Amino acid sequence: MSQLLPYLFLGLLLLAVLVWWVWGAIIQRGAAEVLAPRQHRSSVRSVGLQGDLAERIFGPQDWDFVSRETPSEIQRMFQRERTALALAWLRRMRLQVSQVMRAHVVVAQQSDDLQLATEMRLALSYFLFLILCNSLIGWVWLHGPVRTRKIVGQTLQWAVRLRAAFEQLMATIDPASCRVVGAISITERFGAK
Amino acid sequence: MFGQVLWWTEIAMEALLVARAIGAKFYTKYTLFYFYVSSVLLLELFRFAVFTNLPNSYPLFYWRTQFLAATVGYAVMLQMYAQALRKCRGAVRVANALLLCILAAVMLKVIVGTVSGSGWSTGETMATLERDMRALQAALLLVIIALLAYYKIPTGRNLTGIIVGYSCYVGASVVTLGFGSLPGFGPRPAWRFVQPIAYLATLSIWCFTLWSYHPNPEPDPGSKIERDYKLLSDQTKRILSKARSYLKMRGEL
Repeated sequence: MSQLLPYLFLGLLLLAVLVWWVWGAIIQRGAAEVLAPRQHRSSVRSVGLQGDLAERIFGPQDWDFVSRETPSEIQRMFQRERTALALAWLRRMRLQVSQVMRAHVVVAQQSDDLQLATEMRLALSYFLFLILCNSLIGWVWLHGPVRTRKIVGQTLQWAVRLRAAFEQLMATIDPASCRVVGAISITERFGAK
Repeated sequence: MFGQVLWWTEIAMEALLVARAIGAKFYTKYTLFYFYVSSVLLLELFRFAVFTNLPNSYPLFYWRTQFLAATVGYAVMLQMYAQALRKCRGAVRVANALLLCILAAVMLKVIVGTVSGSGWSTGETMATLERDMRALQAALLLVIIALLAYYKIPTGRNLTGIIVGYSCYVGASVVTLGFGSLPGFGPRPAWRFVQPIAYLATLSIWCFTLWSYHPNPEPDPGSKIERDYKLLSDQTKRILSKARSYLKMRGEL
C-alpha cells in the first residue's frame, strides 16, 4: 500500500495545483487587471497613508491613556479593537509585498536574460516572507497588539522603508507613470548593508 | 451495459470534437491536440471492432492500445507547452530547466530499476506501465501549470480547456491506476469505471471550451515592459530580504 502513496500524492497534487491555477485566473479576470504597474503605484501611495494611519492606531499614547484613565472593561475592548486593526494592517503589508513580487514576475516572464538561480532564490525568499508574515499575524492574533507594541513600532518603520522601495521599483518598471522622488537609492533608504 | 453507454458516448464526443474543429476551421491551430483526439477516436473504433469480432483477444488488445494512447498523450503536453509559453522567453528558460530535471529523475529511476531489477521491467503489467507513464505526464503537467500560475501567463479559453481537461484525466488516471494495480482493487467493478468517467468528464470540458476558436491573449505592445532583468531582480530580492529579515527579527521577540 505504501508504494501507492507517491502516485496518490502526485495525482492529488496535480488536481490541487490545477484548482489553484484556475482559481487564480478567475480572481485575476474578476479584478480586470494583469499586474498593471500604474495600479501598483497607487497602492504604493496608499502604503504611506496606511502607515500614517497605523502610526496613530498603534502608537503608545492611546494605550497609555486608556490604561491610566479607564476601567478594565474598556481596556479589554480597546485591546480587541486594536488586535483587529493590527491584523488588517499586517495583511495589507503582505498584499503590498505580493504586488512587488507580481510586478517582478510580469517582467521576468518575458525577459531574455532571466537567470534561473536568481528566480529560484526570489521565489524561495517570497515564500519565506509569506510564511514569516503569516506567523507574525498569528502572533499578533494570539498576544494582541498591546503586548506586541514594540513589533508594531518596528513594522511601521519598515513600512516607511518599504514604501520608498516600492516607489523605486515602480519607477524602474514603469518610469512613464512614476517619478523617482529625489535621488535616494534603495540602499540609502534601507541603510547600506 | 453502463460500460457500453460510456464507450459510445466517448466515441460520439470525440467525433463531435474533431468534426467541430474541422467545420470551424481551427483544426490546424491545435494540430497536436487534435492528432491525439483523432488517434484515440480511431483506437476506440478499432477496439470496438475487436470487442465485437474477437472478444477473447480484447483484454490484451485493450492494454496494448491503452499504452499507445498514453504515449500519444504526450502530444497534448507538447501542444500546451508550445501554445502557453511560446511568447514568454523567461518562463521558457525556467520550464526547460525544470523539464530537464524531470528527465534526469526519470533516467535515474530507469537506471536504478535496471540495476536493481525492480524498475520498469518487461515483467510488469501494462497497467503498471501506463500508471508510470501517466505519473510522468502528471509531473510535466505540474511544471506547466505551476509556471502558468507563477508567471501569470494569460491563456485563452481553448488552451485553458485543454489543460484543465487533460489534467483532470491524468490526475484521475494516476490515482486510479495506482489503486487498480493493487491485487484487491483491480477486479472491483467500481474501479474499472473511474477512468472512463474521468475521460468522459474531460471530453465534456473539451467540447465546451473548444466549441469555437479562442486564441491566447496577445501581450499588449503598448504596455510591454522591457527592463533590465538584473536590476529588477536585485531590487525585488533586496525588498524581500529586508522584509524577511525584519519579520524574522520581530518573530524572535
